[in-house]
Formats: sequence, structure tokens, C-alpha cells
Amino acid sequence: MNPKKSLFTLVLVITVLATACTPAAQPTTLVQPTAVEPTKAEPTQTSASTGGRKVATFLWRQEFDSLSPLYTSMWFSTTTWELWNCYAWYSDEKNIAHPRLVKEIPSTENGGVSADYKTITMKLRDDIKWSDGQPITSDDFIFTYKMWIDPKNTVSSVRPYDLIESMEAPDKQTVVMKFTDPFAPWEAQLWKGLLPAHILQPVFEKDGTLDKAAWNAAPTVGCGPYVFKEWQSGSFARFVASDNYWLGKPKIDEIFMRFVPDDASMLNAMKAGDGNLAAFPPYSDIPAYQKAGLNLVTEPSGFNESWFFLINKDKGHPAMLDVRVRQAIAMAFDRVKLNQDLHYGLTKVPASYWDALPFWNTPPMQTYPYDPEGAKKLLDEAGWVVGTDGVREKDGKKLVLRYGTTIREDRQNVQAIAQQELAAVGIKLDLASYESDVFFADFANNGPAATGQVDIQEWSDAPAFPDPDIFYWLCSEIPTTEKPSGQNSFYLCDPELDALIEQQASQLDVTERQKTIEKINQIFHDKVYWLGLWQDPDIWVFDSKLQNVKFSGVTPLFNIMEWDMTQ
Amino acid sequence: MTRYIIRRLLQGVPVLIIISMILFALMMNMGDPVAAMGGRTITRTADRERLKRQLGLDKPIYVQYLYWLVGNDWTKVDLNGDGVAETPGTRKGVLRGDFGTSLSIRGKSVVQVISERLPNTLLLMIAAEVFIILGALLIGVYSALRQYSLWDNVITAITFIFYSMPIFFIALLSMYLFGVLFKQWGLPYLPTVGMFDPQIGQTPGQVALHMVLPVLSIALISFAAYSRYVRSTMLEVMSQDYIRTARSKGLPRREIIFIHALKNASLPIVTVVGLDLPLLLGGAVVTERIFAWPGMGRLFLDQVGRADTPVVMGILMMIAVAVVVFQVITDIVYAWLDPRIRYGT
Amino acid sequence: MTTTTATPGPIAQLTHDVLEAPPLTLRDLAWRRFRRHKMALFGGITLILLVAYALVGTLIYPESYANHNDTGQALQAPSAAHPFGTDPIGRDVLARTIYGAQISLLIGLAAVTIETLAGILIGALAGYYGGWLDSVLMRFTEAMLIIPEIFLLIVMAKFFGNKIPDINLFGRIFSGSVIVIVVIIGLTSWMYLARIVRAEFLSLKENDFILAAHATGTPNLQIIIGHILPNSIAPIVVSATLGVANAILAEAYISFLGLGVQPPTATWGNMLDNANSYMDTAPWLWFFPGLLILLTVLSINFLGDGLRDALDPRSRTV
Repeated sequence: MNPKKSLFTLVLVITVLATACTPAAQPTTLVQPTAVEPTKAEPTQTSASTGGRKVATFLWRQEFDSLSPLYTSMWFSTTTWELWNCYAWYSDEKNIAHPRLVKEIPSTENGGVSADYKTITMKLRDDIKWSDGQPITSDDFIFTYKMWIDPKNTVSSVRPYDLIESMEAPDKQTVVMKFTDPFAPWEAQLWKGLLPAHILQPVFEKDGTLDKAAWNAAPTVGCGPYVFKEWQSGSFARFVASDNYWLGKPKIDEIFMRFVPDDASMLNAMKAGDGNLAAFPPYSDIPAYQKAGLNLVTEPSGFNESWFFLINKDKGHPAMLDVRVRQAIAMAFDRVKLNQDLHYGLTKVPASYWDALPFWNTPPMQTYPYDPEGAKKLLDEAGWVVGTDGVREKDGKKLVLRYGTTIREDRQNVQAIAQQELAAVGIKLDLASYESDVFFADFANNGPAATGQVDIQEWSDAPAFPDPDIFYWLCSEIPTTEKPSGQNSFYLCDPELDALIEQQASQLDVTERQKTIEKINQIFHDKVYWLGLWQDPDIWVFDSKLQNVKFSGVTPLFNIMEWDMTQ
Repeated sequence: MTRYIIRRLLQGVPVLIIISMILFALMMNMGDPVAAMGGRTITRTADRERLKRQLGLDKPIYVQYLYWLVGNDWTKVDLNGDGVAETPGTRKGVLRGDFGTSLSIRGKSVVQVISERLPNTLLLMIAAEVFIILGALLIGVYSALRQYSLWDNVITAITFIFYSMPIFFIALLSMYLFGVLFKQWGLPYLPTVGMFDPQIGQTPGQVALHMVLPVLSIALISFAAYSRYVRSTMLEVMSQDYIRTARSKGLPRREIIFIHALKNASLPIVTVVGLDLPLLLGGAVVTERIFAWPGMGRLFLDQVGRADTPVVMGILMMIAVAVVVFQVITDIVYAWLDPRIRYGT
Repeated sequence: MTTTTATPGPIAQLTHDVLEAPPLTLRDLAWRRFRRHKMALFGGITLILLVAYALVGTLIYPESYANHNDTGQALQAPSAAHPFGTDPIGRDVLARTIYGAQISLLIGLAAVTIETLAGILIGALAGYYGGWLDSVLMRFTEAMLIIPEIFLLIVMAKFFGNKIPDINLFGRIFSGSVIVIVVIIGLTSWMYLARIVRAEFLSLKENDFILAAHATGTPNLQIIIGHILPNSIAPIVVSATLGVANAILAEAYISFLGLGVQPPTATWGNMLDNANSYMDTAPWLWFFPGLLILLTVLSINFLGDGLRDALDPRSRTV
């Protein structure tokens, strides 16, 4: 009996050792399952290392590829710039712009914008400093501009700095930018992030490029309320409150960003209190977050989940050339029900591409109502007759459309729903879903959308929020072998639309521009070049420990220094 | 024997080269690294063209492979887009130890990226492997000795229940149970994600605590497979004549099991362990993703999703070299364990 | 005097051969040993029931019902109308598990067939012939092992993802992505078996009975198939049965990465994956597919275990 017993006890002992016994050093803070009075202070903090420090944990779904303003366009990276870097101006929760580095935002009234709209002058504040105490001057702006346009730097996006003809600094507090042509979206796209000339100029002179600068991954000198402390690959990044910020010291001592790629893990972590804030939870998880007593804020940022149509007589399905078919598609898909059921009424159907920018959606568009009978009538009128298998056909060609999007679960759900609803009016949808780097690959890389293999393309996109600028539908953007990176995967060339798009980009006069956009809006609606599924706002989830929390759709963490944390 | 070893290692070299070519070709067709660089919106046309040129992605595939293998500092590249190559390249190529820089993690070299993640993975996987081997040996031997008994069936049933659940399910379920529910019920609980608690800092105690759930998830699933192999070979060996002879000679039970039987039964186990060891370097993709553990598996998955060829090729070549080396070691251990095995001249 | 030979009585009529019990054939022997293994019997019966579930269920629910969505009915708990509840877009979970059963079982069996054949072929040739053939085949095995399974899975899924057309089999239209998954699981799993078969062949071919077979002029193919292979059947059976389980789980794994069978087709794997966020809010989403996967894999494993014990030619117990 002995060998049996000893073996068994050994197994038992190992199993017990492997399961968790909490060591004594766990922090004593307990998570309240529901939001109770947040000011209930815990008597003792046994963790001596923090000693009452306020550390907010943010759960980030994607890790940054770089922190430098030059080298990344990732949302999860650009949002951190509001912590440790600085913008010339920011937007509040109503998306109204306010100056930060400049004394006031340049405009035609104060002379910041010249009469011909080509020169913009910025007057900087004189009390702005880098985190090491050095003053921020126009030299930094000139240096940043030069680094953007230098071909030796592999920057993520040169626009709009390549549209600047020249930039000068008459004195330390003035920056003058001359554009080649009037550039209407300048306020939305310029000066989101600054490079410290006194740190990086020597690096550039030594290496000939900034690509390998240590500062890109460890920007120890910044100009925001927080200073970068540490970034451990794959794991976390830390930002501590800056002592030198000219607007004062933030209330939360440290922001700890943990990278958690999985949705369900993020949900569990928030429920357990291992995170204080999370961004972009999937809609399907929202009831779970609400049940756990967490706060939810949605902030429009101009993004709309959209259907784009391949409209081209060579590449696309002949049915898509007929506007009646496209209108029928719009009427056969009950998008209101989609928003109510799948998104718990948190989002609405956008009638216009500029739905989140009411000023540019004037007069407001009305979306096509859900009317399957009307859709059927239109299709009959267009000559597409229901065949024996329930699918419409005309001249021997069946009305089968290829519908493609990425593999995100909620998109796959939408695909199933759309397939069923359009089948009810006789349109068959072939579903396909791809990983995003495959789906958005360009013409040279055989991207399915770019090579014209997808009739209905779905993804979420925005104008240059808060600016209304768009560019996809330009004829010049159609991909060809000579121009393989073209973005017009709809192969659509409508000369009238083309002219209007070009025009609005150069109109700095707001009233003129509004009229142009109104015309574009109308074309989008009448010709159904674009169909909105839902308005796709930024979604934030945070627990009751965080106070004074506000978000903006343009500069999300704009008031981070006012945030506070209860223990 | 030494000739055999040297021959095997030399045979590995052309294999590595061929594999690198196949993998490179596959990676090239797997997606567009520039497509995701625009962030939340799609990359603009002018930027795409420029980025491709600057990153060397506009060259034909065999040229890119050549640059990857032997570098481009012996030729010039065109950085400013005028069509004329004027700047000397800076890459030395894999054969000289330069695995290039990552396409998506800007500015970091592949070696840097991998070496940041490797220790975390090794920590997790070695702990899991040790746990699995010990547990499997115990369970397997016990099951073989007590074939068809109640305990054999119960243990078999339990290990198989864990074996038949997908790992993401076990991981999430254990995270939910021990991380969320236990905390709500006021029981001692485990942390959910990450390597340590930011309030406390990265101490060995914290890391060990955060390792419990991931290691458990990985181990629970593998117990069944490993212990079945141990069990089945132990059963075969135990019915052999020489075991019966040893028993009739009056040798103590423990000596029979562990010295005579187990040594002969260990061939398949050596096979499986020898094959698994180099793959430890790849990490546990799903477990790392769920527990937000910053390891190689997650790196691999993330970078494949962004079509970051240099990093993925770096990881694969590292695993390739490890597999070749470990195959040779496994064969040597075979010969030591089973003197009947002879290798051809 | 006449010797009267009395007619032999009933006992004397029994011949020498009949008195002794007739020898058992291998099949009888195997069946007897199999019967002893209670868990294996349980496994076999459960498997038959599951296959029946997959086939009979389709007579009750048409496939269109399994894919019929109605967002107004989303996430309903089990009820009379929907015995297993509904999923996030209102589809009936019971019907989806039935059609999912077909796909998952099909993937499991087909993938294992490919991997077993490939593994035996390569392992036997390498182990038996040795020499340069062994070297080449083992290098090839190494090459396949070097490419981690997940990478190959992702690459092939991306490559072939939407290029293989739907096939029409037994009156049901199967998405092309099913074939992709079968092939890639099969092609990424044969290596372990090949090495084990090779190891078995390496040690078995030195045995005396093989030398004897050589000496009597038995052709190589017959030695491989008739002599060595039956003696190495145990690890092959174990590997094959674990392989079916592995294939079904691999399908779930691929679904987690988003590269699985194209929706709206249901498989147990992608149903389980979609239930991740509903652990506590809608447990019926993971309970039923999870239970079915568990039962299938468990019963296959017990079955394989029993088969191995029953078929082992070296085991003397009856």
C-alpha cells in the first residue's frame, strides 16, 4: 500500500501547491461590486512603496508601435501625446477648440490667417516649457516641420506638412507658415505633437535620420502634464506627473497603461478592479460593464461604420451601376433595428457622412427608411426579376453581390443579418471576411477591396474630424498599376463629385465651404454612393474611482490634469 | 558518433536556408504592412508610396530576400523618391547577424524586440514544462500500475476533461473564477492580467503570483496527452519478460518501476519532450494573449497580424535553429537510452 | 467370439479437437479485451449517440433555421421555443449545435485521416530504409516542425481564405473554408506521429523475427505492412484518437484567432469563441457547445484507449 499512498499524496501535494494561496502582501483595497460612495477612504495602505500615491491603470487594447509624433498614427499612441507631449490647440468635450501653446487660435479676425488664406501666423505663449525646464520656442516648431518633410525620416504620414511651402520664425514666439494653396483642414491636422529640438537636433546631425533615435521609444523629455517614465515591450508603459508643467501639477501621480489585447480579459480585469479605465470595449460587452457598475461615456469622433459600393462598369456587378438598385439596398436593410438591438440603442443611423459634425450636415440629410416592399418595387422597375431560387436575375446574370469586411465579431454578425434581410428582397450576398492587413492591402498587394473583388465594402471611417475634408472618391485615387496605392477602391469616377471634393479642400471661407459640402452631401444621398450603418463614437469605460473625467472626440484626454482618483 | 553529429548539423544548414526562402515568400503574400500604418483611418496614397520606398517594400521579392540575407550596404537605395539610388544602405543581412529593423515597431531592431520578450516567455514556458513533465510522470506511472482501477479511471476522466476544452476557454474560465468571482465573494483571489500589480511593482513574488493562472492553463491541457504516452509505454514495458524476471528475482518494486521499466518506457516521452523544447521559444500564443503576458507568442501573433516580416522571420529562424539542434540532441539521447538503436553509416 | 464394439456414447463421440476450446481469432480476442474496458464502451456508445444527434437533428431542423437570425430575440435563456437559448443575433443554439456537429466531426475525421496516412508513410519509410532516405525525410519533418503550427495555420488561412469555392456534399453546401481548415490541420499535425513511427521501426527492425523474415525472402513491403506495422499499432491508434480530439480543438483555436470557418456557418469552435464575453451573462452560449466538445473528445479518447489495450499483440491477458 505504501507506494500507492506516497504516489497519491505526492500528486495531491503538487496539485495543492499549484493552486493559489494568496500571499500576505496583497493590497488591502477591496473592489465594491457596485458604485458606492467613492469617498470611503481605506484606513491603511499596507503597500509601502506607493505610500498613498494615486496610480490610475488604463487598459489599452493595442500596444504602441512608437511614441514619437513622427512615426505613428495609431490611436492608442496618439492619445498618449496628450499626456506627455503638447498640441498647439486642443478641443474640449463639445469639440470646441481652445488654444494651448498659442496665445489664441489663428483666424481671419485676429490676423492669424491672411486674407488670401495662404499664410497662417501663430503667436506662442512665453511661459511654455519642456519637462526639463527648457523653454518651448518657435525653433522647436521649425525643427519639427523640417523633420516631418525630410526624406531620410520614414515618417508615418507627411500630410499636411508637405503642403507647407515654407515656414519661418521671425522671433522666438512667432511661427509663420506659408501654404502653396489654401488648405482648409489646417486647424484639425496641424501641430499635434512637437519634437524637442534641443534633444533631437544633435541626434539627427549624428545619425542622419531620426528613425533609430532612442527618444522614439523613450521620450524622456516632453511638454505635457505627465512625463514618460518607462515602456516595457508588450507589457506596460508608465507616465508620472511632471513637476515642470506650466499649467500646474496633475492630481493623479501616475498613469499606468497596461496592454490587454483580448476583449474578454479586459472585461474581467475591469470587473476585478485591475484596471480603472478601458477604451473601445465591443458593444456586445456593454451590458456586462453596466451590470458591473462601471461608467460608460460615448464621444462622437466623426467615425461612421459605412458601406461603400463598388461602382464601375468593368470591375463591378452591373446591378450596382443602377442607382435604383443601390436605393433598394438602402431600403431593404433595417439599420434602425440593427442599432437598437445590437448596440442597445447607444448609436444611431447616420444619415450623412458628416453626421457628427452638425454644422456641415446642414440641412440635415434624412436616411432611407426601412421599406422592403418599396425596395422590391424598385428592383422590379430596374429589370431585376425574381428567379426560381428566390434570387433576382436580369439578362442571365444573377444578382449576387460580394460583401466583404474584417473579421471583427460584430462585423460578422452584421454580415449575417444583412445577408438575411437582403435575401428577403431577392438579393444574394456572398459573405467574406479578412484580417485587416489583408483587407486593406493595396492594389500591388492584391488587397481584395483594392483589386475590385468586393461589391459592398464595410469599414469605419471619418472625415478629417473635426474638419469635414474627404478624399476617397477622387478619380485620381483609383488604383492602377502605375498608381498602385490609390485609395478609391470603389473605382468610382463621378466628375461632378470630383470637382466638389477638390473645391472644398481649398475653401477657407466657412460659408462657402458649407455650401460645397451640402452639395456633396446631397449627391451621396441621392446616388447612394455611401450608406451609413451606425455612428461609431469613441467608447470609454471607467470605474467610480476616477473623478472629473471628460473626453473629447478630437483630443480625447484633454483635461487629464484635472482628473482625480479616490482610493 | 561525432561524425554523425557533425553530419547532422551540417545537414541542417541547407534546410535552414530553404525554410527561410519558403517562409519569406509566404510572409510576403500575407498582407500589407503599410495598410495598417494610418492608424484608425486608412493610410493615404502618397504616404503608402513613400513608406514602401523607404522601407524597401517596393522591390521585387527576390531582391528583398537578398537584402534580408546579405544586407544592402554594398548597394545604394533611393530615399527621396526621385528614382535615383543615392544613399548607401545600412543593413548587413542575416548572415552577418543583422536581422533588420521591425516594420511596425518603428526604430527597434529585430534582435532588440525579440530579446525584450524572450525572458518572459522562457519563464512561463519552462515553469509550465517542468510542471507538466513531473505531473505527467506521476499520473502516467500511477495509472499504469493501477490499470482499470477506480483511481485510474477518475484521474483519466479528470485529465481528459481538461484536455478536451479549448485553451482559451480554460484560461478565461479560470481567470473569471479565480480573478473576478473569488474577489467578489471575499475569498483569496488571483490577479487577472499582466505580470505584476502597478501599485506594488515588479517583484518576484508578484510575478510568481501572476504566473499561476497562465501556467495552470497551459499545464492542465497537456497533462492528458503526456500522461497517456507515459501510461501506454509503461504498460507495454511492464508486460515484458525482463520485468517479470526482475520481479521474480525479488527486486524491490520501486527499483523495478523507476530503474528498469521507466528507462525503457521513456523513449516516446523523450521524443515528445525533445520536440517540444525548442517550440517553447514560440511561447503560448493564446494564453499570452488572454493573460496579457508580454511574451514571444503574443509578439508573433501581433506582428503576423501587421505583416511585419523582419520580426516574424527573426522569430522563425531562431526557432528553426533551436529545432535542428534539439533534434540532434534527441537522437543522441535515443541511442543512449536504447542500445539496440544503431544509426546507419 | 464376436467382439462387439458398442456405439460410442455421447461423451466418447467428442473428438479431441472439440474437447479443447476452439482457438480464439484475433477479432474475438480483441473484442473480449475491449469489453473489459468499461470506459471504452461508454466512449463508443456516446460517440454513436453524438453522430445520431448530428444526423437525426438535421431531419428536425432545416439548415436555414439554424442560420435564421432575429435580433429581437437575441440572448434569450433556454425556453420551450428555444431549448438551448439564442445567440447574440437571435439564432437558435440547439439547431446550430446540430449543424455545428456535422462540421466539427467532419473536420476532425478528415484531418486525422490525412495526418495518419502522412505520418505512417513518412515514418515507416524513414525508419525502415534508413540511410539517405531517412535523412531526407527527417529533414523534411524538421522543416515542417520548424514552422510553428499556428503560423502555418494563419498563413494558409490567409492564403486560401476566400479562394476555395463552396462544395456541395450530401445535399448540404459546405463553405470552402472548411476544406482549408481540414487540410491545414492535417498538414500541421503529422510530424509527431512520423517521428514515433520511425522510432518504433528503428527499434523493431533489429528484432530476430524480422531478420528471419528477411532470410526467408519476404518482400520489404510485406515486412513493413504485415510484420512491423501491426507491432507498432499501439502508438498509431493512440495518436490517431488524440488527433481527432486535437483537430476539433484546433478548429476552436483557429476560430478564436478569427480565421475559422466563415460565418454564418456554425461550428462548435466558433460558437464557443463567440461566448467568451458572455461567461456569466449568457452561460448557455458556452455550456452547450462546450459540453458537446467535451463529450465528443472524451468519448473518442476513451474509445482509442480501449482500442489500444485491445489490439496490443504483445499483451497476453484475455
